[in-house]
Order: sequence, then C-alpha cells, then structure tokens
Amino acid sequence: MLIEWWRRLMRAFRRSELENGLDEEIEFHIERQIEKNLRLGLHPEEARRRAMLRFGGIERTRESTRDELRLPVLDDLSRDLRYGLRSLIRAPGFAVVSILTLGLGIGAATAVFSVAYGVLVRPLPYPESDRIMSLQQVDKSVRQTNVSEANFRDWQAQSRSYSAMAMIAPQGYVSVAGKVEPSRSWVTAVSREFFDVMQVRPVVGRGFVAEEQVVNGRPAVIVSDAYWKQYLGGTTDFSNQTLTIGNHVYHVVGVMPPGFDYPNQTAIWGSTELNEPRPSRTAHNFRALARLADHATVESAKAELSRISRALKAQYRDQIWMDDGMVVPLQQEVTARARSPLLVLMVASGLLLVIACANVFNLQLVRAGARRRELAVRLAIGASRGRVARQLLAESAVLCISGGVLGVLLTYWGIRTLLSLQPSGLPQTVDVSVNGVVLAFAVGVSATNALILGVATAYQSSGRDLRASLVEGTRTVAGGAAQKRVRDALVVMQVALTLILLTGAGLLTRSFLTLLAVDPGYRIDRALVIDLELPYPRDGATAAQQTRFRDELMNQLRRLPGVTGVGGINDFPLGGTWYANGQFIEMTRPDELTSWDDYRKLKPEDLKQRAALAGFRVASEDYFQVMGIPLIRGRLFQPTDGPDAPHVAVISQALAKLKWPNQDPIGRFIQFGNMDGDLRAFRIVGIVGDVREISLERAPEPLFYGSARQRSGAATSFSIVVGGTDAAAANLAAQQMVRQLDPQLPVVVRTFQEKVDRTLSGRRFSLTLIGVFGSAALILATMGLYGVISYVVAQRTREIGIRIALGASARSLVSVVVGRGATLALVGIAIGLAAALTLTRLLEGLLFGVTAADPIALASVIGLIASAVIVASYLPARRALRVAPIITLRSD
Amino acid sequence: MAAKQRGDLLQGTLDMLVLKALQLEPMHGWGITERIEQWSEHVLQLGQGTLYPAVYRLERQGLIKSEWRTTENNRRARYYWLTATGRKQFSEELNHWERLSRAVNLVLQAQNV
Repeated sequence: MLIEWWRRLMRAFRRSELENGLDEEIEFHIERQIEKNLRLGLHPEEARRRAMLRFGGIERTRESTRDELRLPVLDDLSRDLRYGLRSLIRAPGFAVVSILTLGLGIGAATAVFSVAYGVLVRPLPYPESDRIMSLQQVDKSVRQTNVSEANFRDWQAQSRSYSAMAMIAPQGYVSVAGKVEPSRSWVTAVSREFFDVMQVRPVVGRGFVAEEQVVNGRPAVIVSDAYWKQYLGGTTDFSNQTLTIGNHVYHVVGVMPPGFDYPNQTAIWGSTELNEPRPSRTAHNFRALARLADHATVESAKAELSRISRALKAQYRDQIWMDDGMVVPLQQEVTARARSPLLVLMVASGLLLVIACANVFNLQLVRAGARRRELAVRLAIGASRGRVARQLLAESAVLCISGGVLGVLLTYWGIRTLLSLQPSGLPQTVDVSVNGVVLAFAVGVSATNALILGVATAYQSSGRDLRASLVEGTRTVAGGAAQKRVRDALVVMQVALTLILLTGAGLLTRSFLTLLAVDPGYRIDRALVIDLELPYPRDGATAAQQTRFRDELMNQLRRLPGVTGVGGINDFPLGGTWYANGQFIEMTRPDELTSWDDYRKLKPEDLKQRAALAGFRVASEDYFQVMGIPLIRGRLFQPTDGPDAPHVAVISQALAKLKWPNQDPIGRFIQFGNMDGDLRAFRIVGIVGDVREISLERAPEPLFYGSARQRSGAATSFSIVVGGTDAAAANLAAQQMVRQLDPQLPVVVRTFQEKVDRTLSGRRFSLTLIGVFGSAALILATMGLYGVISYVVAQRTREIGIRIALGASARSLVSVVVGRGATLALVGIAIGLAAALTLTRLLEGLLFGVTAADPIALASVIGLIASAVIVASYLPARRALRVAPIITLRSD
Repeated sequence: MAAKQRGDLLQGTLDMLVLKALQLEPMHGWGITERIEQWSEHVLQLGQGTLYPAVYRLERQGLIKSEWRTTENNRRARYYWLTATGRKQFSEELNHWERLSRAVNLVLQAQNV
C-alpha cells in the first residue's frame, strides 16, 4: 500500500514526462493502424479517417489516462480541505471562536512544553554530556552532598569507572577588581581534571599550564565569555591582563566558549591546586564531577562508588561523615529543582488543552445538529459515508491547523513572558526557544486534536436514518437523545477538569498567602541591603582596618535621611542555598581548647557528646535591632565587646533548645574555631529569636552569632542592612559612599523587598501560570455550559411559550432551566473533586502550610464554579422568558 | 456504437484481456489491440483509446512493466510485458472468470423450468 503511494507520488512529479510519452505512443498507435488500413487497400485519407475512428477520442484518452496517473488521495485531500475551508467561511463565528479556543489550548501547551524541553530534556551543551556525573556524599544525618578533599582523593584512587574526575569549589560572589571595573562576580576554583570532564577548553587564549596548577604556583584564571566581553572589552591580548581577587593578583589566560555556564553563573575559573591540599575528611568544601569511561554505565559507576564509600566509612568510622556515595547524572542534578513545577505546569496546560478541545467539539455538535440536513442530502445524492466522514475530518483539520498556527504564534510571545516571570530560578533558560522539537510538538498536538475532533464529529453525525434526517425539517433542530447525552457528558467533563485546574491554582494561592503571612523571625519594612565582599585579612592590622572601614561606612549610612538604624551580618537571610554551618564544641572552661592539638586529644565519644551543628554568623551590634529580631534573654553585643575583650556570642532559640534543653546556655563557653580559624573561646551572653534563614519555607535552623568586631576575619563577606528607607536616592547615595571609601570595592545594593521577591520568584512563576490556566479553563467551561443551556432553551422555546401562556410563573421556569445546568455542574464537581484529590498530590512538593485536600481552597473553587454555572444557566433562561408567548407559539 | 453490434466489453474484463495478450511476449499498445481483435475473431473491437488508461493502471499496480524500444522498422515504441505479480494475478483472474462464466452459462442454458 505504501509502496503503491510512493510510486504514484514519484509519478506525479514525473507526470509531464509521461504525458509526452503518451502522446508519442498514441501517435505511433494511429500510424500503425493507418499502415494496416493502407495494406487493406484503402485510400490514404480514408485509412486515416478510419484509424482515428477506431481509436476514439484522443483527448478523452489523454484525460482518462492522466486520471490513472494521479494520486486520488492527494486530490481528494485538497478537495476535502477546500470544502472544509469553505464550510468554515460560511460559519465565521463558529470558526473564529473555535480557532481562538484551540490556539489558546495549543499555545499554552506548546509554550510550557518549550520551557520544559529547553530546561529538562535538552542535553547540556557539553560533548557527550550524558556521560558527565555528579558524585555526591550521602550522610544519614546531615542534608549535604558536598565532598571533602580526602574522601575525593580516595574515590579518585580507587574507582575505575571514570576517564576523569574533578573537584569543584564554588567561591560564591567575590569582589573582582584590578585594572577593570570592580564587580561582584561568581568565582569557582576547579581542579585540573575539570576541563577533561567537561571536554570544553578555552576558545580564546589557553588553558592552565602545569605551573598554574601547583601549590603557590603562578596565579591564573580563565574567564567566561560574558565577563570577557563586559569587563575585558573582548581583548585577545592577555600579556598585561590581571584581576585582583582577594589578596592575590591573577593573570587572565583564557576565555571559555559562549554559553559555557558551569557551575551556574560562574564568571571566573581558578585552580584548586594553588592552595594547600586539605587533609580533613569533614571539610565538605567541594563538589565532584566525573566523566564515565567508555566501558562504564551509570549503574556500574553507582555500585562502585557506593562500595568504595561504605568501605571508607568502615575504615574511618566517626572521623568520616559519609555513609554512602551517590552518582547522579549532571543533567538530572542541574534540573532537579525545576522538574516538579514544570511537570505540574505540563499537566495543567494539558488539562487546559483538553477543555479547549471539548469546547470546540461541543460547538461542532451544535453545528452538526444544524447541518444534519446538509449531510443527509449529500448522502442521499450518493456520497459515501466514508467520504462525508472524511470531509468532516478535513474540516477539523483546517480548524486545528489554524489553531496550531495561532498557538505557535502565541508560544513565541508566551515563552518571552514565561522567562520574564522567572529570570533566576530556572537553569539553562538561554536554550529555551521555538525550535524543531517544539514545532514538532505543536504539529503533533494539532494533528492529534484534529484526528480526535474529526473522528468524534464524524461518528456523531453518521449512522443516522437518512430519511428521518431529511424529513426532520426546520421545525426542530434538536439532536437525538444520544447526542444530548454526549453534550451533557462534555459539560460534565469540562466542569470536572476546570475544578482540578482551579484547585491546583487555589492550593498554590493559599500556599503563597500562607508563606507571605509566615513569621520570618524578623520585622522589617523598608530597608536597603548592601552586599560587600572584602579580601581575607592577611594580618591583625588589615583586620582592624576592615573593621574601621565597616564602622565608617555604617556611620555614614546612619546619616542618610529616613534611616532608623544600620547593622550588618556575614550571611544575610534569604540568600537561598548558601548556608555556612559547622560543628562547635562546648568547653568546660574558656582555656580548655587553645590549639588544634587540644582538639585532637579529645576522645571521640566525648567529642560527640559536646559537639553540635549550627549556622555560623558574625553580626554587628545593631544588627538585631535593625532586623527586629527580638532578644529573648541576656544581652546583645555592645561597643565594649572589642577585639581584645573576651569574645562573646549570641545564639538563637532553636540552638538553645537543641543543645541545652532545660538548661541555661548563658555563661557557657564554646569553641567554634573550625569556621574561621580563630581558636579563642566564645562566652554565650544572650538568646535571640529564630529567623527563617534559607528561605521563607524552611523552618528556622539553629544559629550562632559571633561579633563582627571580634571576628573580623569571618566578616569578609558582609551585608549591611539600612533600615527605614528603600528610596532610590538613598540607594544611589549608599553606592556613592562605598565608592568614596574604597573605589576598588564592587557594591550591590538591593531593597529588602527585592531580596524577598527573589526567594518567591519560583513560586510566583508556577502560581501565575496555573492561575492563568485555571481562569482560562473557567471561561471555556462557562462558555461550554452556556452553549448547552442556550441550546436546550432554544429547543424548548415552544414549550416555554405554552407554559407561560398557561400561566406558569417566570420563577418556576427559570428554576427548571437553571436546575438543569446545576445538575450537570454538580455531577462535574463530584467527579472533579475525586480526581483533584488524587491529582493534587503532584503538587505536594510545591505546597506550603496547606494540605492537598485543603478545605478552604476546595470550597472557594467549588463556589467559583457554582456561580459561573448559575450565570451560564440564568442568562439563557431569562432570554427565553423575555420572548412574548405569542411569538414562540407562532415560530415555525 | 460500432462495438455494440459486435460485442461490448464487460466492465473490468479489459484488464484481464491485456494481461492475456501480454502472456507470450512483450508488445506495444497497438499490438495489444490487434492481438485481442484477432483472438476474438474480430468480435471484440474495443475503442483503441480505452487501452491506454488500462495499461497505465496495470503498470501502476505493478502487474506489467514498460520500456521504450525500437521496432523492427526502426521506430520508437513503448513495449509492455508481464511481471511475476502480473502472471499470478492473471491466473487468478482466469480461474475466477472460468468459474463465473461456467455458472452464467449453466443458468442461461438451464432446460428444466
């Protein structure tokens, strides 16, 4: 069958050649016949005349031979499509509404698909990127996946599954200056194998050489394409190009290709090998990446890493905080956080598409009722049922193609809108575009739609008694009972699906509101946050100088108009993932542990009992007042807590409860030297309220605060909060002040609200989309219901007229009509509710403070749908009542 | 109208006759019409033009193939011949035809009413 088509198709292209051949053949044929006639002794003219007669009409022969050559299906198809187009043009209202509806559905699905494809499916832009694995430590008690250098070295030495294994240490946003405009740029230190694992090399300049990858070697960095263009002016002359990062001056040696973005947002890559190796098994400062060797699979690599890691655990026991090892494909790791919201959005847009399709089908059915006579006439004059069905199919194809085209146009616009809603939260968004795969998806969706719609319509309008349809006349256009049931079912389905979508939107809205209402532990309205990154102080003098700089800056900021207070901390809340925590040890007296040797002398079981995990922060005196973090007991830092006074600390309530339940922590001494290298003991002087640190969703973690004045070294990364104002003028003035104090120090000033918004942006993205989908679904479903009820009312106009004439009250008639709508809606709501309770489990990871079966969300959604149903049923009912009975009775 | 007196072709039989005509050797279009006329003792005189849609159809169905060749008189002509599928198809159709014509004959010649 296929071969047959192919042959014809080929022949269709070669048609003219064949036709020329046919002419020659006919000529040859007639000549032979003339020759024969001549041999029979006929006069030449008579011979020719008879030959022509014997042959018959030459033109007719040509015509019918040509017909044999044609692809009848293609011809029929174009004829059907033309017919479909004509019949749609005859019903422009129907066509426009259907195309808009389908365009909306297809556009929404395609736009969400294009984002999901670009982010989740599309391979990362590295050679054979599916072979790149992220290797992670697994610790039963702590949520962390980073690797310590000692563990990494053991993995590297013992594993056979990889062709290369690299360590990566993201340094965060770091001040970068020198001969360039100062910036806060993301810096990442990588080990030499990094470039083998990624299989990407600098495209301008060169990679690191051996002398740049040894302890105390020549400091060198490679920069990203974006940094190169923005800060280095795209120069290729690196002979004099240096960058000052921290206390060192680095030579720029190369530029990575455009689009190379790992780890996310990195502007500058340096070498880990410049620093002394860190033998610690618990300094989890690195991420590990590896490229699978040709012979290895993800499964075999997993098994191997797990075996090695468990052997290490058995060997080192308490000295190692690793129970197991895990191998995760890099793509999966990069996209992990985006997966669940995007899947939810895919489902939501799919539901919207189904609702849109159901609406168009519903409209088709209304038309089919009106067209029954037309179709019956066509059947009666000899069109086969198959042919009529094909025409209906072609008509829905025309609809869906137009809808698809509109949908793709909407997608172009939609992608831009989607991405502008969430500039930060999604990885790899640079790759989101309308590409071949996305177009194929749109075509596939449109074609499937056309097929379902066409087949369903054809099925609905076939198999009827012809005569009955012809006779049915103009008196009623009512469909049969079967068709009525189908339309009722459609409305029920739409209501049910809409309920699911709106429930999703409702739950996300409730989560969002709950989140906004959550007590973050601080009370602050308008504020500016200035993020600074100072170099690590080389000595006491530098540390003192940095303290003076911070004091001076904060003093100047206090003088800005409207400012109510200024404070600072090394790690500002709502930073996202950055969460510097560590293990401290409670001491019996302030001088119990004064050297690393003392540390090592501690017995493991003793250590375990006295140690606890907490976030390590250093803050200025006024930080707590400015942020509105309440003092629960004891005191806060005072100006008298200078660098030479005994070091003091404030702890959060959560830490007090965790480490000293039913005891008083105030006055106790602790050692937290492993965080900033300063072994002086802290005396706890106060307890403050808990704050939500990582994000608004995450419960407060136990926190430890040292004094920034006493632990200047830990305050190199410092955020200054300026309370009381977030005016643009104050923002500019603050930047000006920093620049005057230190022209080389890059500064970023944001309003506090911006910081909060950034943590909410992912949630806002999902919520906005589901909200839009839900509203669109509600409108479509209301339209569907309105259509059905109007139709029923139109059908029963005579009956209503008679009833009015007989004295029925308007009220009772309205209640009959509205009652019908309400019945359909109730069934839909019941089904939708059952489905929603199952489907919203998908959402569970995105919810905050509400359960998937949140009664308030469900009740408000049901209320919304019910009111839409009442409006959709009441309007047609009222219209029917307005008609004077006499007209209805006379009508047709 | 001339054909009416001599014999009209049953619909669909032309294809079968063309296949039969080609059974022995490749032939050009005119040759096919001549052969059918001869074999039918001049009863079947088709409008010769009707042959061409039939051969094109048969070729499309893969039952025959064609090629331009030179005749003994050095003229270019398109020759047709049977493919293996065409032979098989012909023998099937022949069987079918024989059973059908026998049945029709039996009915028409029935004596006992």
